[in-house]
Amino acid sequence: MKKQSWLAIYLCAALALMLAPGAALAAKTIKVGIVDTYSGPPSTYTNDVRDGFKLEVDKINAAGGVLGSKIEFVTRDDKFKVDLGLSAAKELIMREGVDILMGTINSATALAVSDLVKNEKIPFFATFAKTDKLSGEKGHRYVFQITENTASAGKAGAVGLAKQKFVKYWIAGDDYEYGHALAEDLWKNLKKLKPEVELMGQSWWKVGEPDFTPYITSILAAKPDAVIIATGGAGCVPFLKAAKATGFNDKVPFYMHTATELSTLKPLGLDAPEGVIGSSNYFFYYPATPANKAFVEEFKKAYGREPKVGALYGYLTARFIIEGYKKAGALDKEKLINAIEGMTLDSPVGPVTLRAEDHQALLPMYMGVTKKAPGYDFLIAGDIVTISGQDAAPSLEDIKKARAK
Amino acid sequence: MPPLTPQRRNLVLLLVLGLGLALMPAVASRYYIYFTALILVTGLLATSLNMVLGFGGMYQFHHAVFYGLGAYAAALTLNKTALWPWLGLLAGPLAAALLSLVMGLICLRLSKLYFGMLQISLGSLVWAIVFRWYSFTGGDDGIHGITLPSAIAGITGSYYFVLAVTAVCLFLMHRVITSPFGQTFQAIRDNPERAAALGVPVRRHQLLGLVIAGFFGGVAGVLFMAVENSVFPDLLFWTLSLEVLVMCLLGGWYTFLGPMLGAAIIVSLRTVVGIYTEYWTLVLGVILMLLIFFLPQGVLGYLLSRWQGPGQPALAKDK
Amino acid sequence: MEIASHITLAALGQQILVGLSRTTILFIVSSGLSLILGVLRIPNVSHGSLYMIGAFATYSVATLIGGTTGFWLALVLAPLLVALLSLVVERGLFCHLYEREHLMLLLFTFSLTLVFGDLVKLVWGSDFRSLSLPPTIQGSFTLLGLPFPRYNLFLLVLGPLVAWGLWFLTNRTKIGKIARAAAVDREMVAAMGINVSWIFAAVFCIGCFLAGLGGALVAPTQNITQGMGHAIIMEGFLIVIIGGLGNIWGALLGALIFGLTDAVGILVWPQFAIVFPYLAVVVVLLFRPRGLLRSTW
Repeated sequence: MKKQSWLAIYLCAALALMLAPGAALAAKTIKVGIVDTYSGPPSTYTNDVRDGFKLEVDKINAAGGVLGSKIEFVTRDDKFKVDLGLSAAKELIMREGVDILMGTINSATALAVSDLVKNEKIPFFATFAKTDKLSGEKGHRYVFQITENTASAGKAGAVGLAKQKFVKYWIAGDDYEYGHALAEDLWKNLKKLKPEVELMGQSWWKVGEPDFTPYITSILAAKPDAVIIATGGAGCVPFLKAAKATGFNDKVPFYMHTATELSTLKPLGLDAPEGVIGSSNYFFYYPATPANKAFVEEFKKAYGREPKVGALYGYLTARFIIEGYKKAGALDKEKLINAIEGMTLDSPVGPVTLRAEDHQALLPMYMGVTKKAPGYDFLIAGDIVTISGQDAAPSLEDIKKARAK
Repeated sequence: MPPLTPQRRNLVLLLVLGLGLALMPAVASRYYIYFTALILVTGLLATSLNMVLGFGGMYQFHHAVFYGLGAYAAALTLNKTALWPWLGLLAGPLAAALLSLVMGLICLRLSKLYFGMLQISLGSLVWAIVFRWYSFTGGDDGIHGITLPSAIAGITGSYYFVLAVTAVCLFLMHRVITSPFGQTFQAIRDNPERAAALGVPVRRHQLLGLVIAGFFGGVAGVLFMAVENSVFPDLLFWTLSLEVLVMCLLGGWYTFLGPMLGAAIIVSLRTVVGIYTEYWTLVLGVILMLLIFFLPQGVLGYLLSRWQGPGQPALAKDK
Repeated sequence: MEIASHITLAALGQQILVGLSRTTILFIVSSGLSLILGVLRIPNVSHGSLYMIGAFATYSVATLIGGTTGFWLALVLAPLLVALLSLVVERGLFCHLYEREHLMLLLFTFSLTLVFGDLVKLVWGSDFRSLSLPPTIQGSFTLLGLPFPRYNLFLLVLGPLVAWGLWFLTNRTKIGKIARAAAVDREMVAAMGINVSWIFAAVFCIGCFLAGLGGALVAPTQNITQGMGHAIIMEGFLIVIIGGLGNIWGALLGALIFGLTDAVGILVWPQFAIVFPYLAVVVVLLFRPRGLLRSTW
């Protein structure tokens, strides 16, 4: 036969593979499916979620599992695309038969998957999607948000900034839901806490904007007291570079939510700008409690790097699943949900409660200022102020109002 | 028994395939029903693109805009108005056809790559509007949990809806291509100057072709919404257009059903390979390269030329 | 929709200069794209991937050698590595496909982007990288009362140099003249007994070198990451189209339009900066359907 025919045959064989039924697993394992973005910039966060999760899962499996059952997990890369994420989630539920879903750094994917699990009645732990609709407006019994969201980040930012003397603000950020929602929540709360603040203007750039210099120079031309930068994820690094290059941080103080996160500061090394106000749910060096130190040690031993904020989310998700099943006393999804509603866990950042009413994990927020520190070859956050999980989260009335809409 | 001519054989094959698809929900598990529906939707999208790409020779580089707009128009009418839901589903293709008409009027002044790039620019403007108009379209978060008429809700319901609509659409598109209009349309592809010299209103034919393609692209969008209950701006982004273009070329863009096959191959590949490795795009890339080297007419073009002997290259033609 | 009231002449001038330095990158990338389109007639979608590889290679070379020398050396070596890679691809795969339909070539370059994307992930991992500028060109100086980054000044100087180099290459060297002739009529050139195949290889390499150079130049200012080529490839194609296919000066003009509308748009109407480049293309093509300058197609 010609090679063309062989090619056609191989192709058919590959397609036939797909018709093979998914590996049916013994009922004795708890199967968790992770749909997340493992390609491109988001993977700097998602890899830590997975590794933090795996660390706890490995530990419990070594100890004989939960209620005698081992936990097993599979991952799917959605390439930050909603259709791929949704289709992977369906594949995990219907073909792999997973008991629990988690992941989705992309907010649109998270909302789509949340809607899917509502009908499929599968618990879903959103570990990095920041949209406040997940636990707010669109919240329901089967979705849990084990990460801060734009509402809590915005509220925490406002609490921190209200203590500063700035009056005239400029807002700039990523031109998508995350940026706008974060800025809106921050501004709403700041205005409430400090009515005299004044918004001079706004700039919005497209996600993945390659060069921030023109925006920075145009903001500097307006001479605000301070600037609120609502840039998500990987956009922080190039923004800080541009800030350093233009001396932005020396001329106008600015607050950027995730500026102090390790994933932002580590790649920049000692060239990161100093004096930037930032906030994050987690630092491996703060709080310097034994629990956190032990967690960092363990993570470092397993993966050879310091844990970033995602590791905390992954850790918490694993622990809620494990403790939830233990408390429920049976491998039953509904009982698991009942068990973890309102559950409080000890964690590297102290006790964390999964609020029963909206399924939002109440995580403390640490606001700090970037500075150089001896012993680190990158900048860390100093002068850290803690905003407790209860203070940062949107009030239950706000949640009720949003859901009534 | 009458001799098995290639035409008869193809017809029999199609019938068997159709019957198999219709009976599938009785035997297959939920996932494969959903998965087949997804292939049909993507295949319909690719086929509608190929109406103008393969049969019209027009570089329709941003076909996804009509797909996405169709999905959004239907989702918004279902979600925001109290209209009869079936009317809402009709809004999708109509909106897509209208957009196609407007964009066609603007873009048809140009040809080939210029046409394609102007279309990408205009389409990106539409994408930017959908992406930014939070209060109306939900912005980049999209719209999820769209309620459908109960007859087509659920996996089996939406599957039969998709199957029926796809079958009807394929039939209609095939009729269009074999109609006198379709023949003229292909004549324009092969030699626009000659067609114009013969007194054929070239622009008008091309515009009509675009509107038809846009309409069926919109139908595919509505079907997507019916399968996934979600719409989001990715549906109108240019990368999706490129993927659909690839499906047409891969399946065979001078054949009618080639794009459908191309869609099936790509959707299956990314699912199957995605289960085993994170590097599924690498595998896809290598397979595409092999195909380009060994099957330049696309998979279906190759199969047809083999089955029908070297004398009749079916609809395939090499430039 | 407030129109910003803070626009002063100084701010505008500053913004234009910043826009011009952005133009340099756009020009370098799109001139490579245009060169390949003009001479080889290939819409090279993988140009963005080569840009990305250029950036990653810059990171690796710069951190490997280290220091200021490492950085400058990387700016030269990384594009050369990209050119070498493109030579392998061209001689190994591409040169067998020149007779195919344009869309097939497009499909081929698309499959290249898929392969390159995952290869980068295999070699460098999925995390993004960040490269710092050497101290000599870090920071900024004051210009018209506003800070202007030193590195942008470097780009401003480099832009015209690259343009001149390309002009020299295409107008003053033998290979450039043949390439230009081949762009207009390749059969004629072949009939004169010139090995068109190698001319094509050379042009392809030069085009890809420019993609790599673009990637190398942005490496210190942004994240070096998978997918960083996506936005640039779309911008590159739009620039090439509004400038006139295959016309290098058209690419320069297109890049200027893109860079400046973007920068000034940001100052005047920041909320809608996202649509400016697309609008610019639509307007240009409506009035000049074949691009601003004469295309070689």
